[in-house]
Amino acid sequence: MNQKLVNILLVEDDEVDVMNVKRAFSKNNIMNTLFVAGNGVEALEMLENHIIPLPKIIILDINMPKMNGIEFLKIMRENEKLKNISVFVMTTSNEDSDKINAYNLNVAGYILKPLSFEKFLTSVATLKNFWQLCEL
Amino acid sequence: MKEAEDKCQQELAALKKEFEEFVYIVSHDIKSPMRAISNITTWIEEDLGTVENQEVLANLSLLKNRVNRMENMMNGLLELSRVDRVELEFYEVNISKMMANSIALFETNSNVEFTLNTTLINENCVTLGAKLQKVILSVLDNAVRFHDKENRKVGVEVVETESDYEIKVSDNGPGIPEQVASKIFSIFYTVNSKDVVDTTGAGLAISCKIMKLVGGKIKYTAGINNGSIFTLIWPKIIILKN
Repeated sequence: MNQKLVNILLVEDDEVDVMNVKRAFSKNNIMNTLFVAGNGVEALEMLENHIIPLPKIIILDINMPKMNGIEFLKIMRENEKLKNISVFVMTTSNEDSDKINAYNLNVAGYILKPLSFEKFLTSVATLKNFWQLCEL
Repeated sequence: MKEAEDKCQQELAALKKEFEEFVYIVSHDIKSPMRAISNITTWIEEDLGTVENQEVLANLSLLKNRVNRMENMMNGLLELSRVDRVELEFYEVNISKMMANSIALFETNSNVEFTLNTTLINENCVTLGAKLQKVILSVLDNAVRFHDKENRKVGVEVVETESDYEIKVSDNGPGIPEQVASKIFSIFYTVNSKDVVDTTGAGLAISCKIMKLVGGKIKYTAGINNGSIFTLIWPKIIILKN
């Protein structure tokens, strides 16, 4: 089967967390193109001005400077072109309020950033299965 | 007079808000660098490939263990600070079942012999179930975790009085030296070095705060033949302030 890999946009301000995702991708043999934005403002700019091809999946941190993940999600869901993108929230926040806010904005998943890289690898492996469904 | 009171209330509300924000910052902003240390350590390990020098490997493993401990302490601190703000739902609890289920959690992973005795007039009680569960698990965990004997025994006794449930958890473990018994309810205090038994030392501090919240009591007494006895006085009627 000739699969076309979907593009993924990572919205994350922490450099090590970006490295974390890249490393987990390569360990799990995830070959999808990964674009990175440092915060919500930057991500919106990239999407609205077509700086990057429209991704099918966004991995979104919550705590970020300038525009946090929840604010970004709100704006995104009101935008006709962007509102159908699958969003996975990936955060350290175990606060119920953050989870409720995210789910109210229709997210596909809520991943808590674990302390250990090994655990993160397992989460990413699970996501890989889902993404492959998006690619069919 | 009324004005002064209002001002006081406003200041209290502002302080509470500030405290909550502080806890939020601690939970997120400090966890990020902690996670970075843990992740980068793993990457260094991976990138080194086969390492002949055992000392290097041992040190990397120590580094990860300590970051892990730091995370557990941070989580303990957060839990302690949230005792009177989360899981405040009252619901009906079957006391005997809760005890038996809690014991079952430890039975599978430890070679400890448990006994449970209950003298109850009414098995069911509407109470802060999650809080009661937390305290019971914490005291049981203590009885099991620090046990050092071959023949390990933990006894749980529940007696219902007119106003309270009296829950007694006794073990035949090492007990707590008399001179440090007053410190065991302090956060992060551990009788032995944390290297001997890997523990955070937050459980009893959290339990103590819960008991204060519900208007109950937790106390430690030395067992007859060494060992420890923890007694919980859990009131049947709980009145929460605010």
